Amino acid sequence: MTERRRLALIFSVVVGIASAMLPLHVDAQKTERAKVLGARLMCMCGCGQILTQCNHLNCPSSGPMLKELDQHVAAGEADDLIVQDFVQEYGEKVLSAPPSTGFNSIAWYIPGVAFAVGLGIVMVVIRLWRQRDIARLAAAPGAPASAATPASEARNVQLERARQQADRETED
Amino acid sequence: MDLFGSYALLLAFALAIYAIAGGIAAVITRRPLLIKSARNAGFAVCVLIWLGMASLVYLFFTDNFTMAYVAEHSNRNLATFYKISAVWSGQEGSLLFWSFLLSIYVFSALFAYRGKHPELMPYVGVVLAAVQLFFLTLNNFVASPFKVFAATSGGGVMHLVSQADGHGLNPLLQYPEMVIHPPVLYSGYTGFTIPFAFAMAALLGRYPGEKWIHLTRRWTMIAWCFQSAGILLGAHWAYAVLGWGGYWSWDPVENASLMPWLTGTAFLHSVMMQEKRGMMRVWNVWLVFTTFLLVIFGTFLTRSGVVSSVHAFAQSSIGRWFVGFLILAIAVCLAAFLKNRDYLRSDNQLDSMLSRESSFLFNNLILLVACVAVLSGTLFPVLSEAVRGTKISVGAPFFNRVNIPIAMFLLFLTGVGPLLAWRKTSVESLRRNFGWPLLAGIVGAVIAVAFGLRDFYVTLCLLLSAFVTFTILSEFYRGARVISARTGSNLLSSARQLTMRNTRRYGGYVIHFGMVLIFIGICGQAFNQDKQMDMSAGSVMTIGPYRLHLQNFDSDQQPNYSSERATIDVDQGGRSVMMLYPQRRFYPSNEESGTMVAISSTLREDLYVVYAGRSPDSNLPVIHAYLNPLVKWIWLGGVIVVLGTILALLPNRHAVLVMSPATESAFVPAGAQPARASISARAQIPRDND
Repeated sequence: MTERRRLALIFSVVVGIASAMLPLHVDAQKTERAKVLGARLMCMCGCGQILTQCNHLNCPSSGPMLKELDQHVAAGEADDLIVQDFVQEYGEKVLSAPPSTGFNSIAWYIPGVAFAVGLGIVMVVIRLWRQRDIARLAAAPGAPASAATPASEARNVQLERARQQADRETED
Repeated sequence: MDLFGSYALLLAFALAIYAIAGGIAAVITRRPLLIKSARNAGFAVCVLIWLGMASLVYLFFTDNFTMAYVAEHSNRNLATFYKISAVWSGQEGSLLFWSFLLSIYVFSALFAYRGKHPELMPYVGVVLAAVQLFFLTLNNFVASPFKVFAATSGGGVMHLVSQADGHGLNPLLQYPEMVIHPPVLYSGYTGFTIPFAFAMAALLGRYPGEKWIHLTRRWTMIAWCFQSAGILLGAHWAYAVLGWGGYWSWDPVENASLMPWLTGTAFLHSVMMQEKRGMMRVWNVWLVFTTFLLVIFGTFLTRSGVVSSVHAFAQSSIGRWFVGFLILAIAVCLAAFLKNRDYLRSDNQLDSMLSRESSFLFNNLILLVACVAVLSGTLFPVLSEAVRGTKISVGAPFFNRVNIPIAMFLLFLTGVGPLLAWRKTSVESLRRNFGWPLLAGIVGAVIAVAFGLRDFYVTLCLLLSAFVTFTILSEFYRGARVISARTGSNLLSSARQLTMRNTRRYGGYVIHFGMVLIFIGICGQAFNQDKQMDMSAGSVMTIGPYRLHLQNFDSDQQPNYSSERATIDVDQGGRSVMMLYPQRRFYPSNEESGTMVAISSTLREDLYVVYAGRSPDSNLPVIHAYLNPLVKWIWLGGVIVVLGTILALLPNRHAVLVMSPATESAFVPAGAQPARASISARAQIPRDND
């Protein structure tokens, strides 16, 4: 068996096992509007749980809130309108995620800004390190002073080969 | 015994002060006797904390209800098993338990390096003693578990008063996992003190080279392993006990445990850059500092009541002590860094963008961004209240939306990293190494879509999971094939040899595979179903492919609780497949109730049934059933992560160097004799990872 065939066989087995493990009744899932809307709201009993996840029996908040939600949904109101009704009744604390407008929208920007700033720093660092590497090579004794010649090309190939060998031997 | 414990802790406090003062004097004077004396004081502090802890355990086992802490958290009917967990169930006991676990680490570190590294260890001893001193201050003067009930008689004489019985343990904590989850998680938290102490010591003492990194790597891995296991045990406890069908709710206390884990993970990756290339010294020191500071910050979050959490300890004024310590620790870290930053100067060079080094840079970036996202989300309600005067909620929808893309990127890097060589990867090698894993990922995603999957992130996650898995398998396969060709042994045996020759590298791959399983398990959440019904005997509920027939209810009386139990016959396709017995318990000692969820778990899905109590409308029992796909993969992944870490901690089995003719002439420096021999097989190179 060739290496490719062997790899293909291993791959097929892995994919086969993974797909066999997938739930077969995926299509049985139904999106219930009230559940989706309920996930956008918090239970106000102080449990800190999403409205549809509050599992306190006789919870003074979740029961009435869920009933209210069902009434809104049955009345065919728009999603945003329903959520807005809850905000008016309970305040912004009822939202399970900060609103995307006003001061609280900052919460949404922080991770993105952190990523952008971090990425910028990484790119600057990489550029700095690359420049150092180039400067080091240029300053190294025996560095070619002129454009590449066939002899220096061969030397570079040998150097590269030696470096690859060293890399393999020290890799982790 | 209460006096014994109190005195032990007071003496430990005094000796911790001596260990710091003596250690500083030893650092300045370099007198061997002083160094030894400070170290011995460090040992004594640990032993005294153990005695204090033993004393508290004894008080719990003997039902000594003159002790306020024992009366608050235990009762006579509490099972002996849970009297152990009751010890750390409250603020005071858990802080002493923290000191106890820290003292085990401190003792082990001081003992392991006694007489070694004389330039470094006195500093280490001072830093460790300083951290211990802070916790001993809390144990003695702020949250002592040895407070007693006392009353004054007519003659003005004070005497002890014993309660008839205690209030008992919180029902949520009366679960076997709660006996092991806190010790494991705390072992993670406290374990990060050791790398912090070594990093600080190396910086303060300007200890030359990368030795401190070598010394602390294993300690960091141990702490990381405990932290990982602790987080997963906590998630499993939440899943099995809280009865809401989930395992992670992005609660502030959960987030507090995740943040140091993220920075610790970043450190474990970037530390390789320092070991291999002498790079990122400043970054690594700050990662260690940040991890420790996040540990303290997390403890502050859990115990101060600054953010509301179902897991938090009772609100108390202890938070200001943590804030004080945190400020002091940050100041010391900054001062030490500014004073000695020239010592951390390294000749960072990057040969190529396509290299292992750059992949680690991105890996660190992503882990840090994840940490910032979790931290900002956790603290945002406090910030919003401070600025606008109104508190808002930051719940799971926010954290999921922000962290899922980050997690996907991280998963991608998990697959890419091993395919990149140190220093430089050629485009040709990239194409060769990426081809099959990428194809595997794409085919995996196509199959998933063909099965009806439409969720973008779930499909992407499956694609990346297949990609990473195939990368890992091909790494094992390539290495094993070389050994197999040399030794003639079969591939499995060769893979085992390969692994044992570089346990750190291949243990790391095993950990990555465990993480892949966890990711797949989390994907299952997208297909969760649940249904709730008021049920009487004989009624039926259908969820997914299962029909739940409620047969009857019965009740039971145990010494510590009474319970109501539902008996449910589950059938699938008309055939009875299992019986489930969800329970609801009532604990009279503290007048609280709790659920015992019935879970039938397979690799495909969990059928999770909660007896939620009786409906206020119909007075019928309420049964809430959930069908949670792939949850078991998370726990399985956790076990593999722990096993992988243990593997990575094992010392390498060194192979014998075999010199054989090289197929190509190695590069020969000018003036040297031409050589026709080179080290020919990668697999036969002993790896020096330590």
